Amino acid sequence: MASHSVLNVSNLTKYYGKFKALDSVSLKVDKGCVYGYLGPNGAGKTTTIRIMLGLLKPNQGEVQIAGANPSKDPVRALQLVGYASELPTLQTFFTAEQLLDFMGRMFGLPMQTRKDKTKQLLDLVGLKEWGKKKIGKYSKGMVQRLSLALALINDPMVLIMDEPTIGMDPEGTAHFRSLFTNLSKDGKTIFISSHLLDEVQRICTHVGMINKGRIVFTGPIEQMLEAFTQQWVVEAELEKVTENIVSSLRALEFVNDVKVDGNKLMIELKEKKDVRGEISSEIFKQKGVLLSLNLRKVTLEDAYLQALKGGQ
Amino acid sequence: MDALRRVAVIAGYEWRRALAKKKILALIILAIAFQTLIMVVFSQFVGTMFLTNEAMSFMWIFGVLEGQGLFVPLIAIIVAGGSMSEEYEHGTADILLSKPITRVEYMSGKFLGGFSLLAMVEALTTFVGVVLSLWFFGAQSGLQFAPLMFLAIVYSSLIFFCLSFMFSEVFRGTTLAMLVAFGILIASNVISPILAALYSMGGQYLYVYLSRGIPTWAATSFPSLLMSELITTPSTVLSVADREALYQAAMIIAVYAIIFIVIAAYRLLKSDVTKKTA
Repeated sequence: MASHSVLNVSNLTKYYGKFKALDSVSLKVDKGCVYGYLGPNGAGKTTTIRIMLGLLKPNQGEVQIAGANPSKDPVRALQLVGYASELPTLQTFFTAEQLLDFMGRMFGLPMQTRKDKTKQLLDLVGLKEWGKKKIGKYSKGMVQRLSLALALINDPMVLIMDEPTIGMDPEGTAHFRSLFTNLSKDGKTIFISSHLLDEVQRICTHVGMINKGRIVFTGPIEQMLEAFTQQWVVEAELEKVTENIVSSLRALEFVNDVKVDGNKLMIELKEKKDVRGEISSEIFKQKGVLLSLNLRKVTLEDAYLQALKGGQ
Repeated sequence: MDALRRVAVIAGYEWRRALAKKKILALIILAIAFQTLIMVVFSQFVGTMFLTNEAMSFMWIFGVLEGQGLFVPLIAIIVAGGSMSEEYEHGTADILLSKPITRVEYMSGKFLGGFSLLAMVEALTTFVGVVLSLWFFGAQSGLQFAPLMFLAIVYSSLIFFCLSFMFSEVFRGTTLAMLVAFGILIASNVISPILAALYSMGGQYLYVYLSRGIPTWAATSFPSLLMSELITTPSTVLSVADREALYQAAMIIAVYAIIFIVIAAYRLLKSDVTKKTA
């Protein structure tokens, strides 16, 4: 079957001095996909993105964007890419209109297109009234909005965003989320690195997880949830967790595993079933004092933490 | 064609970036004020007492060259010293280099933008020098060579511009780049007269060659040596013509400029784009 990948990362290895930041990272992002790139701080997310943009040179491996390598042929590869960086710093001596016009020139857009796009994008990111003001006067949130507008000036096929909503207020985050959803409906391929698991779960169709420079999972979100956890868990908060309680819960036939986090237990079930009564009576039997008990479906956060443990 | 367009876009960007800095504008104003002050002092206290009529008719050369030794290298160092490094310091290099442009095009645009700005400043100081000499010393001779003089100044300013540009990319820190370039400018200005004194005491030609190897010699001597070649009328304004020295100066400027640019390009092409540092 022919590959529809527009972003193809194969076997990337990157050293900073002796430190191995990326270790044979490979991932594929198909056309029209919204790909969430997850990982803890220092896992290698930004390094991967900077290699994708040709800003860093890998020690091994390569990136292909629509068949072009950004390190060797940046003109062809990056013509199709829009990029918004984590906490962007823009040229403060420009106004938003001037900077959008300048970026449009970088992509070789004709004057009228630049004018139209500038107006349209400032409106899209809610900066219509600020177009003629110097960027030096903008708040951080406004700079982030403008950074997204800049990333869209060339109507990119692939949008690469590094922590696009970090430090944003809830209103701005919601605005960005709806923008991403609309962009994805327009058929754009979006690659987002984020810490916000809830956000990723809401907007992404696929995820990649990286930990200590290694990919621990890449694929559709549903697959990840299935791969790393069972679908349902019971969360129990106790006054004190003892070894007896844990082992007796593990011995129950409907329990897959029990994880301990301080005085909390995460009891993974083999199948969806409300077994809170059985669990609470087992805890009482072992002389435990139960403070709370909840049955819920696993979240991306659970899967994420599981995947990280698996990757270590 | 597209490559040229991208270089021109970055060059235009470089103009805006440099002119947005108040220190560059302040230095340009200071250079013109200094030029005017010197011409006033000369016309009031020196000209009528010590200069012949013939020398006064060539005062435009002095008027144009007077800023050459200090202000032009200073402006060159400041314009070029932040050209590459400030983009790394502010994190804007990421934004520029993640666009469809090669690193060679980016550097060429940066270089041409900064250098053309410097050339414009030199055109302005040349024009002011000529106007002031006409104002204070009356009719001037050899003004047909003024455009050549301007080109010679532009060419000679390549040394300190390229030196500072190289440090800007190599260190990726503006303060360090400018300090080292200023240090070399000052050291050159100190060492040069010492070597000249040693030559006059011992007569060893080695000292002359050594002094010519110092960046300031070629940068400051080339325009005046060229004028000496072109304007054959004996004049106290010009030093004695020396064709060999003229060729040496031209060669030294070219060699220095090429070496500095090759080092800067090597650094940019072979290394990663560093993240925001300031």
